[in-house]
This record gives sequence, structure tokens and C-alpha cells, in this order.
Amino acid sequence: MDNIDISPTARTPSLKLNLDTYEFVLEGESYPEDTTKFYTQPIGQVIAFLGTKQDKPITCKFKLKYFNSSSAKVIMDLFTAMEESAASGNSVKIEWHYVADDDNMQELGEEFSEELSLANFELIPV
Amino acid sequence: MSDSILTKEEILLDHFQNIATDLSADQLLVELSTLTNHYSKLLKNSSKLIRISDKNERRLQSISAELEFEKAKVEKIAGQLSKYLPKQIYESLFNGDQVDEIKTKRKLLTVFFSDIQGFTNTSSLLQPEVLTKYINLYFTELSNIAAKHGATIDKFIGDCMMAFFGDPDTRGDKEDALACVRMSLEIQSRLSALNTEWQNQGLQHPFITRIGIHTGWCNVGNFGSSDRMSYTIIGGEVNLAARIESASEPGGILISSDTYALIKDHVKVISKDVLTLKGINRPIQTYSVINILDDDHVDMSTLNIRVSKDDTFNIPTPDLTLQERLSLLEDLKRAVHKLEAISSS
Repeated sequence: MDNIDISPTARTPSLKLNLDTYEFVLEGESYPEDTTKFYTQPIGQVIAFLGTKQDKPITCKFKLKYFNSSSAKVIMDLFTAMEESAASGNSVKIEWHYVADDDNMQELGEEFSEELSLANFELIPV
Repeated sequence: MSDSILTKEEILLDHFQNIATDLSADQLLVELSTLTNHYSKLLKNSSKLIRISDKNERRLQSISAELEFEKAKVEKIAGQLSKYLPKQIYESLFNGDQVDEIKTKRKLLTVFFSDIQGFTNTSSLLQPEVLTKYINLYFTELSNIAAKHGATIDKFIGDCMMAFFGDPDTRGDKEDALACVRMSLEIQSRLSALNTEWQNQGLQHPFITRIGIHTGWCNVGNFGSSDRMSYTIIGGEVNLAARIESASEPGGILISSDTYALIKDHVKVISKDVLTLKGINRPIQTYSVINILDDDHVDMSTLNIRVSKDDTFNIPTPDLTLQERLSLLEDLKRAVHKLEAISSS
């Protein structure tokens, strides 16, 4: 498995998976022309990473400013994979970064975290 | 199975659609429990997605409302800004045609200058409020006429208006020069009527205006610094137009031989002095414009006013200056009013 380092565009976020630091970061705006084409390969790799027993804590950082409904589905799948990873014994921490006065993005983070019980979730206003 | 963000759900559906029909009751209960769990999760996710979608829609509506507000604000500012910019430049800028960089080009332009005779003295005699009122009315009239004829108003300098024809739009050298002369004639005609009207309102010092026109190659474009620039024209030909204006008779229109050469078949002029102007190293033949010869031109060399069978005034119009003709026009209008009043009494 290789590191992932996808640069952002106007419509797509930066997507990074660092196998040395065990850190996943999704940052920017997400409303791709073709959500499946953009996310399938890298997110498949991230889910595979989460599904493997890791010897160090995994940190997943979401720093999103805007995302559309199909991107939300991808994020929900990621949250499910993170919860399942925690259930399988990995230490998983999810950080939901949002601009301090962006109530909408705060509420979305809270909604996504509702199904979590084993993964550690933290809202981080910036 | 399709390759989509719903692949997981499609796999599950495929599984349950193709479930073996000969399963035992216990096996069916296990499958049912699995199906219920997945359905429950799918329901939660659908509910979440609907909420997210609604939130996004509300957010977009809010952004759309903000954009409308900002658009209205920009339009208001643009409307105010348009009063400070030549109409053509404003339109070019807002159409995206005009680049905001320091860039100039050489073009053959017909340059117009006007100023008010004795304005310094007039302004010292008038109350500032009165002066402001009339000078604003004066420039409003000039601007409206300039806009009508397609002039690019470069600037107002005190009582002087500087304008040009040929950039950013041109109708050709000859038509540009003709448009400038047509505009100048309309300005003088309108001012003649206005001065009478203003004098009736109590303004004792009419705004008798001198106009000078010259056609020549000028540098036109954005001049200044990268932070503050002005769309204007510069060059010796511009200075020449200003000098010709100062040599014009009050109420008259003086044009250079360069302008005259372009429009000589279309204007009636009186040859004026050859000017030797400071800073200009060639003598400049000038012409005072009497009138434009329209396509349906009739002989206007003599004005005949028949008072009675044996009493006729013949006025040789070419001998009159523009100012004298305009003054005569106002006198005749008053005479018409008087005659109408007499006939109806």
C-alpha cells in the first residue's frame, strides 16, 4: 500500500493518507463532476487501510468547507469504516475541523458522529 | 454490479434478491436479522442525506440571496462610477473589453475643447451656490449633447470641457470629425437658447462659449501609475486643439486645416487667421464654422424677411458669425411669439 497525496481543485478536496504517521486528511470543498470517479480508488484504499490491524493510533482529519450529497455518502461510508476499524481493535480518532462561525458544518459533524461509539470523535473549531 | 458510491448497497440487494429459497427457518431468521440491520442503517443514512441535502439547499439559497444583495450593491456603485468615467470607457470596462493596465496607442482623433469666455471674472461675481447651479446645468447640457453625438468626454477642467472622437469607437476619420462639428453646432445653438432663458432667470453673465477643434495623431489610453490611472489623450496635437480653442471667437467654433481637410465638402466655413501658436512649429490655418451642409442642402446664403409688398429685409447669412446667427435666431423666435400674441388679441 502506498501513501495517497491528491492535490485540491476548485471542486475537489485534497486527500492524503500518510502511512508513516497513520494520518488521513480530507480538506477543502467537495462537489466533484463525477463523485465515483474521484473517490472510488483512494477511498477504497483508505477503507482497506482501516480494515487492517494497525500497531499505532489512526487519526482521521476532516477539514471541509462544503460538500454535496454524494460526497456526504462517501463520508458516511468512511465513518462506518472508521467505527468498524475501532470495533476490530484499532485506536481511531476522528477530528472534525470547522470554521468557528460555520454552524452548518458543525451540525454536519455532529450528525456524522451520531453512529459512533468506539471511534473517538472530536469537534475542532478553528 | 455497478461501480458507484452505492456499490455496497447494491451488493447487499443482489445478495437478498438471490437468496436461496430452500433455506431453513433458522437460516431465514439470520438473513432477516441481517437485512433488518442493513435496512435500519440505510434508513438512517437516507434520513441523514435528506437533512444534509436540505441544509445545503438552505445554504445555497442564503448565498444566492447574499449574491443578489451584492449584485444590487455593485450595480448601484457602477451607476455612480459611470458618472465619473467616459460612457464608452465605462461600457468597455463592464463588458470586459478594457484591460486595466497602462497601455497606450496612437490614433487619429478629432479633439474638442470648449471654455466659457471670461469665466474667471464671472465666477468672482456670482454667489458660489448660483455659480454651482448654473455650471452644473451647463455641463449637464454639454454632456448630454456629447453623449448624443458619441463623443468621449475626457475631462472637465474648471469651465473647460475636453472631449474627443475616434476612440474607443470610431466611425472613420471623416465621420468622427463631422460628428464633432455637428456636436459643437448643437452645443452653441443650445447654449444660445439657454443663455436667454438664464438671463430671464436673472443670470447677468451669460456663458458665452468658445470651441476649438483639431484632428491629429494622439496617444490615447491609460496613463498614470499602476494604482491610479486615467484614460486620456496626450500629445502635441492635443495642445494644438487647446490653443485653437483659445483663439476662437466667443460663441464660435474654430477648426484647424487638418479637420477642415476631412470635412470641407460638408461644412460652410469662413477662412480665419493663420495662427502661429507658441510651442507649435508650423503655422496653422484656421476656419470658423458657419454650418453643416446637409444632404438635402438648400441655398441658405441669404435670409429674406418680407414685411410687406415693398419692404423686404435681405440678410446675407454667410457674413454673420455663428454667435450673430444664434442671436438672430433668438430674436426671431421672440418676434414670432409677439406676432402670435398680436394675432390672437
